Formats: sequence, structure tokens, C-alpha cells
Amino acid sequence: MPEKPKLAIYWAASCGGCEIAVVNLHEKILDVDAAFEFMFCPCLLDTKKKDIEALPDKSIAITLFNGAIRTAENEEMARLLRKKSQLLIALGSCACEGCILGLANLHSKQEIFKAVYLDNPTIDNPAGTIPSPASEVPEGTLTIPAFYDKVKTLGQVTAVDYFIPGCPPESHQIWNVVEAVVSGAQLPPAGSVLGAGCLSVCDECERVKEDKKIARFYRNFEITPEPRKCLLEQGLLCMGIATRDGCGAPCPQANMPCTGCYGPPEGITDQGARMIAALGSILDIGDCKGKSEEEIAARVEALLDSVPDYAGTFYKYSLPGSIIGGRVKR
Amino acid sequence: MKIGVYFCNCGTNIADRIDGGKVREYLEPSGRMSYFKTCPFLCSEDGKVFLEQDLKDEKPDRIVIAACSPREHEATFMRVMGQAGMNPYLMQMVNIREQIAWVTEDPEKAVKKTSVAINAALKRVELHEMLEKQELEVSPAVLVIGAGPAGLKAALTLAEAGRRVTLVEKSPVIGGLPVLFEELFPNMECGPCMLEPVMAEILHGEHAENIELLTMAELTEVAGYFGNFEVKIRQRPRYVDIHQCIGCGECFEPCPVSGTNPFNNDMDEKKAIGFTFMGALPNAPYLDPTLCTRFTEGSDCSACSAACPMGEGVIVFDDQEQIIERQVGSIILATGSTLYDCSRFDNLGYGRLPDVKTALEFERILASNGPTAGEVVTSTGEQPGSVAFIHCVGSLDDDHKPYCSGICCQYAFKYNHLLESKLTDTKILHLYKEIVSPGKEEYALHRAARDNHNATFIRYDRISDLAVTGENDGQKIRLPDGNSINADMVVLCPAVVPTADTEKLGAMLDVSLDRFGFFEELHGRMDSARSKIRGVYLSGACQAPADIQKATSQGMAASGFILSELVEGRKIELDPLFASVYPEKCAGCKVCMRVCPYRAIHFDEENSVSVVNGVLCHGCGTCVAACPMGAIKANHFTNEMILAEIEGALK
Ligand SMILES: Cc1cc2nc3c(=O)[nH]c(=O)nc-3n(C[C@H](O)[C@H](O)[C@H](O)COP(=O)(O)OP(=O)(O)OC[C@H]3O[C@@H](n4cnc5c(N)ncnc54)[C@H](O)[C@@H]3O)c2cc1C
Ligand code: SF4
Ligand code: SF4
Repeated sequence: MPEKPKLAIYWAASCGGCEIAVVNLHEKILDVDAAFEFMFCPCLLDTKKKDIEALPDKSIAITLFNGAIRTAENEEMARLLRKKSQLLIALGSCACEGCILGLANLHSKQEIFKAVYLDNPTIDNPAGTIPSPASEVPEGTLTIPAFYDKVKTLGQVTAVDYFIPGCPPESHQIWNVVEAVVSGAQLPPAGSVLGAGCLSVCDECERVKEDKKIARFYRNFEITPEPRKCLLEQGLLCMGIATRDGCGAPCPQANMPCTGCYGPPEGITDQGARMIAALGSILDIGDCKGKSEEEIAARVEALLDSVPDYAGTFYKYSLPGSIIGGRVKR
Repeated sequence: MKIGVYFCNCGTNIADRIDGGKVREYLEPSGRMSYFKTCPFLCSEDGKVFLEQDLKDEKPDRIVIAACSPREHEATFMRVMGQAGMNPYLMQMVNIREQIAWVTEDPEKAVKKTSVAINAALKRVELHEMLEKQELEVSPAVLVIGAGPAGLKAALTLAEAGRRVTLVEKSPVIGGLPVLFEELFPNMECGPCMLEPVMAEILHGEHAENIELLTMAELTEVAGYFGNFEVKIRQRPRYVDIHQCIGCGECFEPCPVSGTNPFNNDMDEKKAIGFTFMGALPNAPYLDPTLCTRFTEGSDCSACSAACPMGEGVIVFDDQEQIIERQVGSIILATGSTLYDCSRFDNLGYGRLPDVKTALEFERILASNGPTAGEVVTSTGEQPGSVAFIHCVGSLDDDHKPYCSGICCQYAFKYNHLLESKLTDTKILHLYKEIVSPGKEEYALHRAARDNHNATFIRYDRISDLAVTGENDGQKIRLPDGNSINADMVVLCPAVVPTADTEKLGAMLDVSLDRFGFFEELHGRMDSARSKIRGVYLSGACQAPADIQKATSQGMAASGFILSELVEGRKIELDPLFASVYPEKCAGCKVCMRVCPYRAIHFDEENSVSVVNGVLCHGCGTCVAACPMGAIKANHFTNEMILAEIEGALK
């Protein structure tokens, strides 16, 4: 029997949801196993880093790399797997764009350490110890991977062949990609997004869309949306208009606004900026004819106040991959 | 790609501050520029000849012109490029005069800034596309809505120029408000007589065949755009064949029923069949089905028809509503204005006290074809010993209309003048906030009113400072100083306001309304006869309070625009700087639908994509910024071009 191509699934800074999405292939996982030698997956298999290092370059057919680059170890593994793989595929929002943990880019490393190791009410740390790449202890020097100042995407540290977006990616879309690779089908040019559509969630969402004019936003718990009408038009901050499709729009169809996990649509570099530009065009502060500047400003203010959390809404999944990438220090 | 840079010295304007030679040295290393040429005055005749010849010789793929503001000479240079056989959109102009030479002291910095700006242009111009002006067939026909002075003048002007005009008038008569007025300021001409020549031309003049007059008609639907509007007009039945009727009026007398006459503000009665007032044009009565017993009771009365000397068939009892469809290239809105509702001022007693009248009612009282045949009498039929005119009712008032309506002082002085001759002993009181009488003719009536020894002028501050109460023998007006004065008749001069139809028509045609509810002009000073929608023009009091002079001038201005913008036989050129949707990128979210200020975007339901109409698009780019898919491209301002320009400036 000829040797099967090797498949690796690695997690860097991630939650494990992408692995679950893979496992959610259910019985199809057997087909994956039949087609590949599933040889590296830290949460399922006991392969070690040194085993990977020992492999000849490009001997892994596909590495599905999930998780963002938070530490030096993440980067080291990313580079190693790049070297050993024919196809390095960013799996899921963290690897593609930085995802939720990328929101840490609104704070410096020092601020994060202070919040987690010093100010955290459930931590007892009288010595004020914070992680450091090298610490001297009586037994010698202890080393841990360095914690980076900024979360990075996989593509920011190494060349990536394809991107599968989603938090997590829909299982059927992972399957589509695996199937395409197994079948030997012609793959799109390197750098493309796989396992997703080319439009926005709106294209897959069956709600009826009308002209948009939003007078205020509601938090999800505040209203019960009308079941057939576009959620955004009802004042729920649905990111669907600025989010790539491919998920099948499960959230809006279940009365939950899209939070944007499939990232920016094809050709858009900054999901949050696009969303803000779009909203800027459809927010409605009412008829301003003859109103004073103060009154107009107050209305704008009130409308903006109804958006709960700007960065956490517009850049929930895409801050490290966006144009500014996070808070800019001067 | 061969890109040439032309650097204009603008005499000393640019050269004094910016050393072209140094700019060239600065730019050369990038290799982006194929040649750099300096010219003393690129816009001069010599300069243009040089540019044309040089473009023919060098045959560049793209050029950058570093000179003055593109607002000044971009069009000039684009024309030269065209003459040299080069697509004029393959050029980027850099304003190094206003933005650099004139505002930068330090010559070093000026060179650096100029180089950065030209570098940005070089990066951008590489991406420029050849754009072509497109042409579109248009209909030269015009729809004029409203047959007041503004609409009449417009219709006649256009008809005289050979245009087909459909003139739609809601009421059974043409002439608008002034045909209801006995005399007109500033020269005390008779209203109907002044308009008669225009109306006669429209009805039977040399060019009448170019004008299709539809009375009792209203616009109900509009589709299409500038050059190609499809309109639907609903015409109510008149029940009188306007072509056979000779207007003799024999049919009125026999009619057994009557009701109040709205054209006399319900101050008298008219028969179910009748004129709106004597002398109304078109010279044919109309039958009011809300009065005629054939309609109210199902009777078989035919008294009017029996009395008609022209025989049966002139009165058409089974006349039906008609829907008339027309194709026109442009539309003039000339629907006039109305008066602010005076019953909002409880302290003035309007509607409660029979001798408190509005100016429009008073006009009819003064009119010889009005309810009192021109005799000024109170509700008890007596001549008033005193008449008070309250100016500025609702005008100059932040709680009502914060503008001056402009015409009220004028007509109040007109009334002063008429009263002075009709009732020599009657005391006249003018209560006013401000008095305006600008214009070369207008002051005469003001002066005459001031000189009238029967007239008193009292200024008030706020309308609430006045209170009109009923007395046994007339009205008492409490004045701002607390004193009271008697007035047998009180005439209110209310703010001029938009009619109820303004909003409806605005919505139908997508014409915006200003903050007072009048149709909004493209520009208050420069373009008051154009709306923001291409092909829809504004005339008269529907755009702002106006006297007849302004209304008719605007009617003619609108006609002028139409004659120059939609020339018979000439196609319209479409500026290629419009936006377009890449259908394959559009997700159908409809974010863009409402953002276009020119209503150029519609949704193609079948393909579930938005579509920009290039004819209506002004290329403002609003939708381009709004589309979350980046699915809308603005010609000549693509994202790629803008980013390249920024990059060129930063790197
Ligand atoms: C009391 C008073 C006295 C005045 N006295 C003078 C004066 O002495 N001298 C002077 O220069 N100016 C005077 N004016 C001002 C003058 O009346 C206006 O300048 C003039 O009427 C404006 O002309 P217009 O054509 O814009 O509107 P209008 O005269 O109001 O005509 C508008 C026409 O459009 C029609 N119309 C409205 N809606 C529709 C619709 N939806 N579809 C079809 N048709 C429609 C109306 O029936 C009307 O026939 C006076 C105004 C008032 C109120
Ligand atoms: S905003 Fe963009 S994606 Fe949405 S409907 Fe308009 S063109 Fe299409
Ligand atoms: S560019 Fe401006 S005018 Fe043109 S369709 Fe877009 S919003 Fe309308």
C-alpha cells in the first residue's frame, strides 16, 4: 500500500474550537483517516516537536494551523510547520486574522500582565512575579516562550497557502477543503480563502432586506426581533453586511445577529472599517432641518452610545489582521 | 509605461518659489517618470500649442500636469489632450500653485512638497483608465405642473421654442393665484388682464398646438430619469366638453342645486355647474359631482344640458376619469404656495370672528368678480369704518415660520391704496413686525400708504402681544402697549407656506424639500430654478415665497435650462465619472439604496443586486464608501487609485 499523505493539525494560541469543528466531521473523519496519515495533533496524538523536526522538509502534505501567534513558541512552530509542509493552511479566525484573543492588541503586554498576574482579585502574588522568558531559581535558569507585545496572525509570521475562516469554521466547509485536496482538484491561487463564499453573509441570509435606516441599536436581550426582517434594519448590530459568507448564515436565521467570525469579504482588507463606513451611511438621526448644531451632535452621540463596544463589535475577530492592527502607541 | 510630467512655471507664480530643476532631480531616481518638461505658461495659447505638439511627439501613455488648481485648467488641458489624440482621463493634475507655491515660504520645503505631490500623482496615474463620454437619446418634450404665472410662462416659452409641452393644472382654471386678484402690486394692474395675453397665447396662440393643457389633472406616477421620464397623469372628469362649449353660461340658471364656491373661499354660492369665477379660463364651466343631483341622488335632471344653446353633448354626464401617459425629458414644478393656517393663532380669532379674514379672502372681497362684486363690506353688509391689517402673521417667528414671506407688506399696501379710493373715510391700521419693500417699483405703494392720512402704523414684537376679540359692533384689538383699538374688519397677512402637494410630489420625484417644506433648489443663489434631481426644475412660489415677477422669471429660467440641457436632436453626454456596481460582488444587502443623494441607485430584484443609473449618478462616491462589499466602483476614483496616491505621497 502506497504511503498515505501526511496530515497535521496544530494549535497555537487558540481555544480548541477548531479541533472540535474537525471532530464534528463525525463519520467523515474516517474518510479523512482513510485518505491521510493523521500524524500530528497535540490535543489528540502524542507526536512531539522533535519528531516533526526530524522529518524531511515538505514531507507533510497538509498542515491545518489554528490559533494566533501570541508567544515565541507559536511563531517557532509556525515556521517549523511551514518548512515541513507542502500546504500550510490557516484554519479558523485566530490563524487567519487574530480573532478574539487579538482584542488583546488594545493593551500592551505590561497592561495585560498587570491585569492577569497583579490586579486579578483571585490571584495571590505577594512577590509580584510576572512571566519572563528566563527566570533565575536556585536550581538554575527556567525558560518559557516569550510573550509577544502584540498578537499576530499566522500570515504575519510566515507564508500561508490558504485560509479557512470562521470561529470555528463550519465543519462542512472543512470537509469541502479536505475533499478538494484529496480529489486532486485544481486549487485556487496561493493566498486564497477556501471553504467560504465570495460575498457577504447577507447573500446567504434569507431575511427580507429593505432600504436601511437605523435610528438606534438594541442589545440582543432588549428586543425580540421580527422573524423575517433583516436584523440590522431592526436595530440589532448584525455584522453580516461586512462579513464573508460561507457559513450558511446560521446566526441571523436563529435570531442572533452575525458577529463577523468569517472575517472581511473578498477584496476587503479591513472588516471593522468597512462596517463603520457602511453604518455611517445608514444611521439615521432623524430630520435635522432647522435643528441646532448642539441638538444634532446630541442625537449623533445618543445613537453612537447605543453601540455597546466599538472594538469588540467591529473588530471582534479581525483586529490583528486589520489596517491598524491594534492600539497604536506613541 | 511612459509617463511624462509637465511642470508649469505660471510665470513667476510657481517658479519664484519652486525650482523645477530640483523637483526633477528629486523625482528622477524613482524611475517612474519618463520625461519632465517645463513650460512658462501651459494654459496660454503658446503653452497649449506646445502641449499638443509635445503629446503628439512623445506619445506618452499617461501624463501628470503640475500647475494650478484643476478647477481652473483641468478642462483646458483635457481638451488639448483630446486634440492631440490622447484620452483626456489619462492625466492627473497636481495643484502646485495654490497648494504649494503660494503657501510655502521655504523653497527647500516647497521642492520637497512638490516632489511628494507629483510622486503621488505618478503612482496614481499609472492606474488611470481610458474613459469615454457616453451618449443618450432624450425626449425633448416637457411636463409643466401647475398653470400659475410661473408654469404658464415656462410652458409658453418652451412652446415658442418648438417644444411639446404638457401643462397639468389641478384646478379647472389656469392662471394660479393672481387671476383671483383685482389688482396687483406694484403698479396696480388688473390681475386677470395682466395674465390674459399669456393665457390666450397658451389656449389659442400661434404655438398653442405645442401645448397640451390638462386641467383638473394631477401627476400620479413617474418612472425614469433625466431625458426619459415616463409620467402618468390622472384627469378628473369635467363633464363639459371644453372644445364645444362657448362659455355662454346659459346652463347655470336652470341648475336646481348650489353649494359654496371654493374659489371665493366659500364666501358665496355657486351652482353645481358653473365657472369658478367670471372670466375664468379655459372659458368653460365644470360640473361638481358632489353637488349635482344626478350624482348625489341618482336623479335624471338634465336642466343644464337642456339649456345649452350648443345642443346636447356639450355637457357629458358620463364623462370619465382619464389616465394619460406621456414621455418627457424634463419636468418643471410650478405648483405655487399657500397661506399659513391662521386658525393656529387663537388670539387672532380667525375662524371664530366673521370679520377676521385672510388676505386671500380679502382679495376676493376686493375683486369685482368676487362674492361682494368688489364692494368692501363686513359680514353684516356694512362698509367698515376701520380696517386693520396684521402683517407678519406666522412670519419672522421661530415658533411658526422663521422667514420673511416677502410679499405681504406689498399686498397690504396695495389694500391700503384700494381702500383709500374705495372708502375714503375708512381708518386703516397696519400692525407689523418689520416692513420690507425692496425693488425699483415697490417703494411707491409703501410711501403712498405712509402718506395716507387715514393710516396708522403700529409695530409689534410678537404675535402674542396682539389679541383680537369680538365686540357687539366689530372687533377690538389689544395692542402691545395694553391699549385697545376697534376694527370693523381685520385682515391677516399670513406666512407664505408650501402647499400640501409639495411633499407628495417631492416624494414622487425624489425632489428634496428644504427645512421649511418648499422644494429645495440646487443652489440658493446660483441655481434656484433647478432641483437636485437632474431634469426636474423649479419655478415660482413652490420653491420659495415669490411675487409674480420672480415666479415668471423662474419659469423662464427653468425653460432656459431645459432648452440648453436637452436640445432637440442632440444626445446628452454622460460624464464618465459615475459609479457602477460589480454585480458579481454585490451581496444584495441594500445598504447603498438610500444613501445616494441623487436617487441614482435601484435594486434589480431579479438578480438581487443594486444597479447605479449612470445618467443620474453625479459620481459623488457616497455609495462607494457605504458598500461593505467594496462592490461599487467610482470611475477615476477607484480604491486602488486612491491607495496608490497615498502610497506615493508617503513613500
Ligand atoms: C394674498 C396675496 C396677494 C398677492 N398679491 C400679489 C400682487 O399684487 N402682486 C404680485 O406680484 N404678487 C402677488 N402675490 C404673489 C403671487 O400670488 C405669487 O407670486 C404667484 O401666485 C406665484 O405664482 P406661481 O405660478 O408660482 O404659483 P400659483 O400662482 O400659486 O400657481 C400654482 C398653480 O399650480 C396649481 N397646482 C398646485 N398643485 C398642483 C398639482 N399638484 N398638480 C397640478 N397643478 C397644481 C395650482 O392650482 C395653481 O394654478 C400675492 C399673493 C397672495 C397670497
Ligand atoms: S451596499 Fe454593496 S453589496 Fe450591498 S446592495 Fe449595495 S452594492 Fe450590493
Ligand atoms: S456615486 Fe454618488 S451619485 Fe453616484 S450612485 Fe453613488 S451615491 Fe449616487
